[in-house]
Amino acid sequence: MNKLYLGGIIFTALMLVLTYLSVGGSKGGLNDDIVNMLAIAGAVALVIITVFVVIKYVRQMQVDSASGELVDESWEGIGEYKNELPTGWAVMFLLLMVWGMWYFTMGYPLNAYSQIGEYNEDVAVHNAKFETKYKDITGDKLVEMGESVYLAECKVCHGLSADGIEGKAANLNHRLDAVAIKHAIANGANNFKTDFAGGMPPMMLSDPAQIDAVTDYIMSGFVDGHKGAEAFAMGGCTGCHGEKGEGMPFVGPKLDCFDTATVVTVLKDGKKGAIGTMPKFDRLNDKQKEAVGAYITSLSK
Amino acid sequence: MFHWLEKHPFFFAVGVFVTIAFAGLVEILPNFAQASRPVIGTAPYSTLELAGRHVYIKNSCNACHSQLVRPFKSETDRYGHYSLSGEYAYDRPFLWGSKRTGPDLWRVGNYRTTDWHENHMKDPASVVPGSIMPAYKWMFTNKADIETAFAEQLTVAQYFSVTYNEPVPMKDGSSIIVKMGGSVAEAKAIALEEAKLIAADMRDQDVKDAVARGEIPEIVALIAYMNSLK
Repeated sequence: MNKLYLGGIIFTALMLVLTYLSVGGSKGGLNDDIVNMLAIAGAVALVIITVFVVIKYVRQMQVDSASGELVDESWEGIGEYKNELPTGWAVMFLLLMVWGMWYFTMGYPLNAYSQIGEYNEDVAVHNAKFETKYKDITGDKLVEMGESVYLAECKVCHGLSADGIEGKAANLNHRLDAVAIKHAIANGANNFKTDFAGGMPPMMLSDPAQIDAVTDYIMSGFVDGHKGAEAFAMGGCTGCHGEKGEGMPFVGPKLDCFDTATVVTVLKDGKKGAIGTMPKFDRLNDKQKEAVGAYITSLSK
Repeated sequence: MFHWLEKHPFFFAVGVFVTIAFAGLVEILPNFAQASRPVIGTAPYSTLELAGRHVYIKNSCNACHSQLVRPFKSETDRYGHYSLSGEYAYDRPFLWGSKRTGPDLWRVGNYRTTDWHENHMKDPASVVPGSIMPAYKWMFTNKADIETAFAEQLTVAQYFSVTYNEPVPMKDGSSIIVKMGGSVAEAKAIALEEAKLIAADMRDQDVKDAVARGEIPEIVALIAYMNSLK
């Protein structure tokens, strides 16, 4: 037997003994665990295969001699054999070319990953879930949803308790305040282009006493027998906003308290009023707008 | 030929370079040319907006605010549609930013208004309780640099063919014309017209008086720029 093989066998045996000792010596040993068994079997196989593969090539270096036909070129005295194309390699190469054609024409264009595609899928899934989950939402659930949307989108300006910021964002716990009413009478109101296309002309009333009376009347919540009622009718307010400020669809918004329609209108068109401009909220979907409407309505009741 | 190349490493290297460069051109250029064109609805910055952009850069707003909405639902819910590369066609340089201490501002014009910005720049905590943004009071007295904005307009119009004084298509099918003055005086007059519209929605009497006198405080230019980000 060749000395090399003898050395290899001794080395293998030594490695296996060391493996056995280190595994057996560690706490629990193989522990009858299938994963541990597999790992040790792998280690044994690796040792044996490595040793004999190394021996094969070392032997080859010792005994092999060069043979075969050289190519024409000589690079500074170093030649190269003419090697046959390995069959396995050639098959792989051809298969790869077929795959490449498929990938260029079908694979990449039709199945490629795209960040925008993933985004679109995410949104579609979310919207579908939203649609089915909240299709028939009403009452308290709607108000709850409105509150959560309010906290995310409206709280920044109108505040946690919806009492606004003095002179910067409206208090939503009641429908109107005196400043807003007087501003609307003096300047008209033409904010709600979608739902109240007609708008309100300025200066329907010009006598300060009458304006005060109307303001008082609206602020009082349209109580019966109020002195402002007459001016409210005379100024033409009733024509669009109704006898008691109950509003008319497509003509004039409700004045006595918030309702969903009014809030949705504001969210759709934004609002430019006495204390500044509120942007429109296109990013809310219809259900969310309705929910915010329900929440604000619940606040002013 | 391949044997010849094997014997001449220099030309071999040149060949490799040419091959890879050609592949690069084919892969990158068409998409790049397509994506860097302005999208429909993106208009060049007007004189006042450009002056506001300079104020934005001067005060390093981009150190805390990004201008890039990424395509994630959480982002588009908060800021609006994700950014498209063509929307930055007129941004020189773009102000994507790398960090959000404050929110993204790329579409702030959609959901904030002139008077909100006015309150906010004067005292951020008054409209955003708990905000850590500092006040920028000097913007209410410093004057915007219209000359530099006009110089930039002239430069980009001449060297990058930015379409001033020509119709720009909008999303709804209409078109708008962004004006550029023919002289410094004309540019200032155009900027002042824009400034008057902004100042009409503002509350600060000093700013209103300044605009009435024909001066343009930085805050007016900055708000014009903010409102243009949509």
